[in-house]
Amino acid sequence: MSVSEEGISMPVWSSYEHPEGLFDEMVDLSNSPRPVSADITKALLSMPPDKLGDLCNRADSMFRRMGVTFNVYSDRHGVEKILPFDPIPRVIDAETWAGLEAGLIQRVRALNEFLADIYGGGCIMKDGLVPRDLILGCPQFRCGAMGIRPPLGNFVTVAGIDLIRGPDGRFFVLEDNLRTPSGVSYVIENRVVMTRLMPDLMRACRVRSVESYPADLLQSLSEIAPSGKSNPTIAILTPGPLNSAFFEHVFLSLQMGVELVEGQDLVCVDDKLYMKTVQGLRQIDVLYRRIDDEFLDPMVFRRDSLLGVAGLTAVLRSGNAAVANAIGTGVADDKAVYAYTPIMIKYYLGEDHLLPIVETHLLRDPEVRETVLRNMDRYVIKPVGESGGYGVLIGPQATEKELSETHQQIVKHPENFVAQPVINLSVHPTLIAQGEGSVRLEPRHIDFRPFVLLGAKPRVLPGGLTRVALRHGSLVVNSSQGGGSKDTWVLGR
Amino acid sequence: MLRRIANQLFWAARNLERAEGRARLVDVNYHLLIETPPRDTPEWEPLLAIFAEQELFSSHYTTADQRSMLSFFTLDLENPNSIRSCILLARENIRALRHYVSSEFWLALNTLYLETQEWTAGLFDSPGVYAFFCELRDSFYRISGIRQSTIPRDLAYDFMRLGIMIERAEDVSRMLDVKYHFLLPRLEDVGGPVDLLQWTAVLRSASALEAYRKRFGNAIRVDRLVEILLFDPTFPRSARYAIEQFEISMRRISVDSSVAVSKRVSDLLHDLRENRAAECIKSGLHEFLLGVQDSCKGIFKQIDDDYLKTQ
Repeated sequence: MSVSEEGISMPVWSSYEHPEGLFDEMVDLSNSPRPVSADITKALLSMPPDKLGDLCNRADSMFRRMGVTFNVYSDRHGVEKILPFDPIPRVIDAETWAGLEAGLIQRVRALNEFLADIYGGGCIMKDGLVPRDLILGCPQFRCGAMGIRPPLGNFVTVAGIDLIRGPDGRFFVLEDNLRTPSGVSYVIENRVVMTRLMPDLMRACRVRSVESYPADLLQSLSEIAPSGKSNPTIAILTPGPLNSAFFEHVFLSLQMGVELVEGQDLVCVDDKLYMKTVQGLRQIDVLYRRIDDEFLDPMVFRRDSLLGVAGLTAVLRSGNAAVANAIGTGVADDKAVYAYTPIMIKYYLGEDHLLPIVETHLLRDPEVRETVLRNMDRYVIKPVGESGGYGVLIGPQATEKELSETHQQIVKHPENFVAQPVINLSVHPTLIAQGEGSVRLEPRHIDFRPFVLLGAKPRVLPGGLTRVALRHGSLVVNSSQGGGSKDTWVLGR
Repeated sequence: MLRRIANQLFWAARNLERAEGRARLVDVNYHLLIETPPRDTPEWEPLLAIFAEQELFSSHYTTADQRSMLSFFTLDLENPNSIRSCILLARENIRALRHYVSSEFWLALNTLYLETQEWTAGLFDSPGVYAFFCELRDSFYRISGIRQSTIPRDLAYDFMRLGIMIERAEDVSRMLDVKYHFLLPRLEDVGGPVDLLQWTAVLRSASALEAYRKRFGNAIRVDRLVEILLFDPTFPRSARYAIEQFEISMRRISVDSSVAVSKRVSDLLHDLRENRAAECIKSGLHEFLLGVQDSCKGIFKQIDDDYLKTQ
């Protein structure tokens, strides 16, 4: 069966063009549905186009009513936005998922060992496998965290690992997010909407539930309570309503039934952490913080921070509370340190890495720098300290001006940049509005952020956030830069 | 419950009550002026005096006419106590706390807020004023009804009620104080049939006219009016009723704490239960009302220190 043959009466599919040289998640090179998602493709084939448009509208109004919004920092007009949602799901079969799951667990365990090592003995640097100056010079390395050993040795409790799929369909790790990865609330809310839009299809496909994430997160946070305390008091620390992920902070606090606190609600007394309630001070054992290291403790980090609480680092050092993720985890998701992750997996776990990474050139090396600077239009150039897609230069799509600006910056601070070959992200059929309520199916680039929890044992959410670059030809999927999302269906066996 | 949350709930409710109180006063004053022959004293002066906002007003407006007054009390965001400002503040406080109240409550409040965004001075073109205040009053009733019928009687409810009741008690005593002195410049007028219309308006602005007639009949007498607005145990906008409700919430909140607040509240409650209007007027109503206002301020300061402030 071919999509175009089958879809003769379906203008939505008949005009679908599979782009050359890219991996399409739903159809193969001969434009036939891939077996993993054949049932779903067929179901969509048999849907009249106006009904597809209707799906989009219904999804949109559901998100508005539910108030699922994010804030955009730079946008002064209409600060609250809805993350655009595409109702065509992205499907991952059980076998592929099993492989991803093993690779993700392996990776997060190794990154966690690495953090415990560099904030402890520093063996991997002594053994010369990772250069000491790279770590100590990393903007996310926190001297103030040296010697703090969190309960269970867990530095990482929540990890969001960004994966992409290359032209041959293989998954690669694009980057690790080990500080305050966000997006999981969309995964859960997307699913709520999809179960209303396509209940029969979901049941027929045996899609695995994502509902247990908040309970799993709560369990993982409980497991890292100091000295194995049972029924620990847990709270989420938010920067407040202006933060782009505030909706998620509220969402998780409601789902887990724990207090959502701001810095002004907290106080440290005698190396213990408390929140100020109307009944007096109440001790907190585990703080799931959604603010960056620098703002966490004005006594150790930024003095002008009003978001954190003075004395928290001392509390952690005394072992009277745990924060998730621990202070200083950002050094392990640094884009230069990323190049060493296969070595880490071998070093700490004695295993070969299961998930490949993208070939990464550190521009601090003069020879490498020379080559990259000569051929800038062939690389993706990333600043090491940034997150959220800010400051990324995509060589082939950049203007002369952008190229020369980045060139200057690299010459000035070469250690701040890495270069990677351009990888054409896989594409997925996506409904694109054509005006007047009609929609068209077009390929759009996607990536994938699964979530890994590390408590007494690792837990991987069976699903994740599939982000889609809605602008034609765009490779940037970040919600802060015009990206949308899809539901991700991990199928049961 | 976190102190910050308690503080936001308290102020959200207090601001809503304040907005409602102002809407009543402005509405009644406006309609009173239609039927009153022009006087020597500036017509809107009493209202500015009640809110102690003469200075703020004159720093923003040059003429004190009906239009500028309506705008100042209703629309003006430069006036932190205008109806619109109060609704805005209440909405901002509740916005981040939707899950502490009911979604119905949030929706009703947000709807009112969205309406205030549409308000313009054009609303006060003369035939529109009546409809405007009617609708506004209905919005407040709706929100208050939803609050009472959808929010569980937990700490969130109690902190909101503290805000409402302390505002109500302070408001009624302030209004009475100012009206009393504006309407009764000479001592021999006390208890006389002077300015019947004005006194009726005072009762009406507290929605107390019908309650008054039920209890005392048609003749309006100042001592009875004071009786119903300050000391009536059953009328829901009297100072006594407000403080009794306040005390119930206070007792639930402070199961084991804050003797100081309880003492202040029970002292005030004692004054409102044991006194009668006639004696108060004889020995100086102004002093008595000042005492009520001071007690309210003291009670607020104490709960602010004990429960609300985070610093």
